[in-house]
Amino acid sequence: MVWGPMIAWYLFLAGASAGAFLTSAFVERKYPDSVKMRVAGRLIAPVFLAIGLVMLMLDAEAGLHNPLRFIYLVMNPGSVMTLGVYFICVFMPVTLAVALLEILRRPVPGWLTWVGVVAAFAVAAYTGFLLGVVQAFPLWNNAILPVLFVVSALSAGLAATSLVGLVLDRERFEQMWLIKKTHVILSAIELVVLFTMLVIVSSGSPEGAASVASLVSGQYAPAFWGGLVLLGLVAPFLIEGYPVFITKKVETGTTSLVVSIIGESGVLVGGFLLRLLVIMAALPVVFL
Amino acid sequence: MTRYGMLINTKKCVGCYACRMACQMNNHLEATESFISYEERETGAFPHVYAEVVPVQCMHCEDAPCQSVCPTHATYTTDSGVVLVDEGKCIGCKYCMAACPYGVRIQIESTGVIEKCRFCWDGQDAGNPPKCVNTCISGARVFGDLDDPESDISREIARTNAQPLSGNLTKAKIFYVR
Amino acid sequence: MASNLSRRGFLRGTAAVAAGSAIAGGTLAAGSMVAWGADEGTAAGEVRQAPSLCNGCSSKCGLVGTTVDGKLWTLEGAKNHPYSKGTICGRGHGVAQMAYNDERLTQPLRRKEDGTFEPISWDEANREIAEKVAAIIAEGGPEALALIHDPRPSGKYYGPRFLNALGSPNVYTHGAACNASKESGITYTTGASNFSVDFANAKMVVFIGRSYGDAIRPSSVQSLANAADAAKRIVVVDPRLSNSAIFATDWVPIKPGTDIALLLALANVLVTDNLYDHDFVENHSVGFDEFAAEIAPCTPEWAEGVCEVPADTIRELAEALAKAAPAAAIEPSWRAAFGCSYANSFDTARAVCAVNALLGSWGQKGGALITSSPKAGDLDKTRFPSVPKPEVKRVGDAEYPLALSGMGSNLAALQAALDGKMRGFFFYNSNAAQGYANPKVWREGLGRADLVVTIDVQMSETALLSHYVLPECTYIERMELPEFIGGKKHYVGMRTPIIERVHPETRSCDEIFCGLAEACGVGQYFDFTLEELAAAQLESVGTSLEEVREAGVVELADPGFEYKVPKFKTESGKFEFANAKVGEAGLNPVIGYVPRMVEAAGDELYLVGGKQGIHSHTMTQNIASMNAISREYNLERLWMAASDAQARGIADGDLVEVASSEATGQVRVRVTERLRPGVLFLPTHYGTTSPYQTRACGFGINLMDFVPFRMEPGTGAAMSQEVAVTVRKVEE
Repeated sequence: MVWGPMIAWYLFLAGASAGAFLTSAFVERKYPDSVKMRVAGRLIAPVFLAIGLVMLMLDAEAGLHNPLRFIYLVMNPGSVMTLGVYFICVFMPVTLAVALLEILRRPVPGWLTWVGVVAAFAVAAYTGFLLGVVQAFPLWNNAILPVLFVVSALSAGLAATSLVGLVLDRERFEQMWLIKKTHVILSAIELVVLFTMLVIVSSGSPEGAASVASLVSGQYAPAFWGGLVLLGLVAPFLIEGYPVFITKKVETGTTSLVVSIIGESGVLVGGFLLRLLVIMAALPVVFL
Repeated sequence: MTRYGMLINTKKCVGCYACRMACQMNNHLEATESFISYEERETGAFPHVYAEVVPVQCMHCEDAPCQSVCPTHATYTTDSGVVLVDEGKCIGCKYCMAACPYGVRIQIESTGVIEKCRFCWDGQDAGNPPKCVNTCISGARVFGDLDDPESDISREIARTNAQPLSGNLTKAKIFYVR
Repeated sequence: MASNLSRRGFLRGTAAVAAGSAIAGGTLAAGSMVAWGADEGTAAGEVRQAPSLCNGCSSKCGLVGTTVDGKLWTLEGAKNHPYSKGTICGRGHGVAQMAYNDERLTQPLRRKEDGTFEPISWDEANREIAEKVAAIIAEGGPEALALIHDPRPSGKYYGPRFLNALGSPNVYTHGAACNASKESGITYTTGASNFSVDFANAKMVVFIGRSYGDAIRPSSVQSLANAADAAKRIVVVDPRLSNSAIFATDWVPIKPGTDIALLLALANVLVTDNLYDHDFVENHSVGFDEFAAEIAPCTPEWAEGVCEVPADTIRELAEALAKAAPAAAIEPSWRAAFGCSYANSFDTARAVCAVNALLGSWGQKGGALITSSPKAGDLDKTRFPSVPKPEVKRVGDAEYPLALSGMGSNLAALQAALDGKMRGFFFYNSNAAQGYANPKVWREGLGRADLVVTIDVQMSETALLSHYVLPECTYIERMELPEFIGGKKHYVGMRTPIIERVHPETRSCDEIFCGLAEACGVGQYFDFTLEELAAAQLESVGTSLEEVREAGVVELADPGFEYKVPKFKTESGKFEFANAKVGEAGLNPVIGYVPRMVEAAGDELYLVGGKQGIHSHTMTQNIASMNAISREYNLERLWMAASDAQARGIADGDLVEVASSEATGQVRVRVTERLRPGVLFLPTHYGTTSPYQTRACGFGINLMDFVPFRMEPGTGAAMSQEVAVTVRKVEE
């Protein structure tokens, strides 16, 4: 396989960073009182992205040995990677600026947030398109993967921010129905999108079918079913969905706290596993 | 214009790895690094079997996916159609490796740069012929100018109806007799 | 041949890179390109070229090595060498890299009591070896000493000369484990030890087991490729669809070791249907009537029962050969199926010759050609004194009288060691203990010897069993005596050093034997330099040391080859369908059927071996680039027919245990349709046990471990494929 865990980390962290920023913007707008969550989102965004970029650079050995070469990354606008660099060039400073203003307890101008929101979507989508344009791998080369990655990015960012909310500001967090509903719905959407993609990829080519088979029944099946599907999607859906849509009551018990933490952590684990598995399981079309 | 290409006749290839070895030495690759890989195929069932070895290396595509995805323009095409890597620009992101439909790009252990067959480019021209062609014991490889209808390769392609591996997917410039 | 031209070419290239990088707008190139050109990273490395002859196999193809700043960069085939024709195969490129192998022998070693080795000086080594040689001679006579070698140009001269100078006639080549039976068989029918097929003009050629595409000589592969291009009929008789099969029109997946039945049935059809060449048989052969009577029962139907090739196929092949005759031939082969493989290998070779005789193809255009070879003329006896002929006969020649005088049976020497008669062994360029017969028998035999000396470039299994190990420099580091090449035209080639010696304590073959001779008190026969001898030899054939050194390969005077029935150098002067000496050796004087010795019983499978294009016996497995290929492409695997695998519940890549009466071993399986069911194919390069070769050690299994130690009657050859094994899946 061309790429490995390092790139999976990068794709996950960049996506989660974008998701966290979007969450913070959402929280700012809908729940102006939830300061801690807003701050959390705004701090997670640059930190995750920075860690992700370090991963990226560690993986790019030739650049690591000659850091000046990274400047050339802006050279080819026809490359999704270069586009991603452009997006990151916008998103990274914005998240840093927003985080700094937040730390300095200064107001963040609305336009800056909007620029960040647009850049965040672009970053989240680009991590999907980065793989999506690679024709050699059917598991990547489909229209659904970018959608899946965007949904997963939102979900992961939301989960990361929610974890902070859960721990530091639980009382308010438990009242944020819109956030919780969004979270549940995102899990459901992701589940549907994931399986739609697998069906389409599987029926598209022998290599696609083999890739999907390695996920659902082959060497990656335990991680796929146990980690991605169960822990990353189904469990969070049930854990969040039950109080939100069935009991409709605010939980305050310690048990529910632990369960919720498991749910949010599961989303993060699932988000990482999604990228790792998509990278590892992809088999190239054999042109022979 | 000169447009370099190669023909590989699998009906003459005995799979002796001479091309890989000659290439490796000329390009100072490590023992485990190779610009040429081999697909061994057997079709049919005993005793009606056909076996072939298909050497695969950079196809020097005119629509090179590796070049279009390369964020730094490290991968470029010369005027004579040879796809090269400018090592001074390569960051080793491996996007080209992922994008190459033939899986023929490799990472050089010592530098982290992603490299591939360069038709034995000597600085201003393709090797003539490249080492793999030069050493081929059975004459399975022909190298030359695709734009010159009188060149050995043009004649051989016409004679054998050689085709790129993947049809016109990437406008590859290595033609195969299968 | 230091070439200023190519140096300029290189400089031009380097300068152009710098210019090119400016155009590309990058920081690249000057530095990195130079890094590709020369490791040192200096801008304008000094490029030099020197000719040599490859050491990858017995073909010894001409090549030209290019160095940058004294370090090997590339190799190219010599354009004027008749075997390489400007190309070299993969193993040719790889074998040269032995020079830089990190696990080479770098100094003389002496084995200690505990089995480990300690470095000693050359003087010490030579002195101690000489003392032991003297003791052996005193006790058992010089005939208790033997030399076993796989001859190379210098070794051919110096090794036997050294042993003969000591008074011993016991010089053996690797032949008994290579092409001994085949060469004997050809000799006892035609008087020549080998022949070639006139591919360019042949209409039909039948290969028995041999695969040009696996045991490669570039010119042979080119001939075959050209023949295929010209739509000639190429029949490959082999239980395995080899890598040459892409050139074949027919694959005849025969039962191993029964080729003789097929050949005799071909002869039977040619005789019975009166399709044979009457002129040749009546005027140029003896013993036809006995032969015809001998093969009368060998009908295609009979053969089908033996070799399991359909009678109709045999009949059709015979008719097609007759139609194509005389531009048709059975190819002579090399090791393959009857070089030394079975109890009937000698007679299989004779049967090959017999079919060619019936086709009247000897000497004909497109047929089987016996060509001449050049050799050095008489040299000045005062400068190069003759060594007296040893008084005793070579050990083994009495028991195996059909072994050729130039080869002998090295296994007879092993038997003598087991019997306690052979006390001292010298091995040169030979890993006998791993490849010539069952290694455990070699261990036992050499364990009984008082002195074992191995001259090699790496710590082979044979070296491990030695008291002294003498490090040779690799072939690209040394000059050797001229190599004479026969054929329709005559050539001479020579090795010259391509690089300086990497390890200063290593020595060349001539230096080593001269040193040993000096220490053993027979230095008077070695009182000349290699260059003096080479110059004298070359002058005797009308060229000079300077010319050959410069050109690498030089064509000699045209021997005047003509297409005509050759003058057979047999006792009768004719082709011999029957030979009295063969009868005296206890075999059937008339060419006839001899069964293979071992028949598979129960669920046993026949185990056959063969070469892979990238390797040379057991000597290349530890070369990093070649080992890497084997590992990347799983070349060490045991081939098993798909139906056999299915019956045993074995899937591709499964680990299996192979067992014979001699050994068990584990290896992974390659399940294939390219193999006759009931047969296993094992490449004969693997299963190294020398811990000094870390890349190779423990990788794959060694065919010879499974083969009982036996010798073919008459020739004393190894019968290296007289074995059947069981295979079972190992649960992991």
